[in-house]
Amino acid sequence: MTHVSIRELTKVYPGSADPALDGLSLEIPTGELTALLGPSGCGKTTTMKMIAGLLAPTSGDIHFDGRSVLSEKPEHRGVVMVFQNYLLFPHMNVADNVGFGLKMRKVPKQEIDHRVKEMLELVKLPDLGDRQPSALSGGQQQRVALARALIVQPNVLLLDEPLSNLDAHLRFEMRDLIRGLQQEMGITTIFVTHDQEEAVVLADKVALILDGRLKQYGPADVFYKRPVDEATARFFGGQNFASGTSDGSVFKSGLGQLKLPDGVNPGPGKLTVRPENIRINAGENMQNSLQAVVTERVFLGTQTLVKLQVGNEKLDAIANPNEVENISVGDSVTISLPPSSLWVLST
Amino acid sequence: MSDRLKIALLLAPALSIIGVLFFGGLLIGLMRSFNYMPVIGLTEPDLSAYIAVFTSREFYLSFLLTFHIAFTSTVISSILAIGSALLLRRTFVGRSLINFLFQLNLTVPHLVGAIGMLYLFSQSGSFARLGAEWNLIAKPSDFPALVFDPYAIGIILQYIWKEVPFIGVIVLANMQSLGEDYESVARSLGASKWQAFIHVLMPLIFPGVLSASIIVFAFTFGAYEIPAILGASYPKALPVLAYQKYTDVDLAARPEAMAMAIVIAALSALMIYFYVRYMRRRIRS
Repeated sequence: MTHVSIRELTKVYPGSADPALDGLSLEIPTGELTALLGPSGCGKTTTMKMIAGLLAPTSGDIHFDGRSVLSEKPEHRGVVMVFQNYLLFPHMNVADNVGFGLKMRKVPKQEIDHRVKEMLELVKLPDLGDRQPSALSGGQQQRVALARALIVQPNVLLLDEPLSNLDAHLRFEMRDLIRGLQQEMGITTIFVTHDQEEAVVLADKVALILDGRLKQYGPADVFYKRPVDEATARFFGGQNFASGTSDGSVFKSGLGQLKLPDGVNPGPGKLTVRPENIRINAGENMQNSLQAVVTERVFLGTQTLVKLQVGNEKLDAIANPNEVENISVGDSVTISLPPSSLWVLST
Repeated sequence: MSDRLKIALLLAPALSIIGVLFFGGLLIGLMRSFNYMPVIGLTEPDLSAYIAVFTSREFYLSFLLTFHIAFTSTVISSILAIGSALLLRRTFVGRSLINFLFQLNLTVPHLVGAIGMLYLFSQSGSFARLGAEWNLIAKPSDFPALVFDPYAIGIILQYIWKEVPFIGVIVLANMQSLGEDYESVARSLGASKWQAFIHVLMPLIFPGVLSASIIVFAFTFGAYEIPAILGASYPKALPVLAYQKYTDVDLAARPEAMAMAIVIAALSALMIYFYVRYMRRRIRS
């Protein structure tokens, strides 16, 4: 178990003017599961490869338990990386794949066989040791890749988009397996994902990286409640923004005057409220109630998206289909924006 | 029309040419090797040509020399080609130019290369003269015998020069399609660079290396022109010896030449079979 400290890490690839990663600093406590979240090409995998020692940073440092590991070779760092496409060695069967790391450490064959058996049981593939990787399903390949990584008892486990190649059913199963194993073994784990839902469900903390820069780092709920800027809010599904001014307790904008929660700084800014926090058909005496006109209804399956017009401002609300079944396009409705669900982004 | 029939019909023109030229030639050679040449009155097939070949000391010496040339050239070319491919897959300034230069001699015919080798490495060649000029050796004839030498160094050098890019291009394409991720996985699982190469990269590129090296082995074992130009007068490489018999003024020597050619082909096939078996087992272990 290792405390990982990433300090001002920057990577500029040869021939590229813009850095792939620009001054990333993160403290990842021992035994925590941290998600590096961001869209494709934002520098997440670059970060992982630098932590694993597979790529040298242009500048910055990486510390494990307070000790710089930049000069250490990948095989000596105690970091194992599980790649997005699993990369099981095609010329080895499942058991040989899982035992590969132990073989490289010259562990006696008998012990390797024993530990491989244990590990395959742990990932619920006890009878597949003799199979070739090509004969496995995507989910099974993922489990083998995980077993191959865990068998060497790494100090730090890196997972690159661990669930992206799996279908929805397997994704849930693997998510639980990863979380369960990580908690059982207490390995400091960093995983990369572009899926905010995956990051939120799986990780203790989330680091949002956009355009090679760290936007925000913290527990998942903070990204919903207190995003640092519009880009962060949008990445987490925020769609409602209204420019205006705050006096610290009230925000004045095209939506009118809305009471704010404590802790908002005075000054100009953008008010944001998450679509699922807007209450439709709220009583008029509720705090921050407004009159709105329904401009569109979109059935999303388990939810309904209701597009609203409030003065010159537009708002998107998400509601339970049962709650809005009597509402039609063109109807005037009373909506409420509870103060605790509001947040002001500085501009 | 079934798919199988369609494929057979599509391949028919190419297969018929191969059939006529290759199997037809092989059949005629086989008949002649059994002393069946009605043109010169040999109508009673026998094994005398094969007996003459297998009881000749010169044949065994030639076989050993030819095997040495083919085996050494193939092994050294394969090793150098893998090393070159490992370097060329890296990103560095001027890689395109180096890549181009590496592949350039693929376009140069073997014969031209052999003449170049003669001009450069013979005891009257450019390097011998330069050595004498710069007082590294007393006179050009003191230059080590790399051409027409009993160890066939000149021939092997020529083959290496020509075959390294041939194998290298195949291996490089193989490595580039694999990428470096498999090795990265191995490194992060605790393998050193060497272990990642031996346990992961090498088995993955092995089919490509094997195919290319089989072609090189078969070619160098059966090639005539390079040993004819750069080889010593005794012992001669098998193809040179066979050709010498074939062009003998005595037409009766032809069955022996044909028997030798058939033996060369059979030995090539046999050695390739054992080479493939050995290498597969070695890689698996």
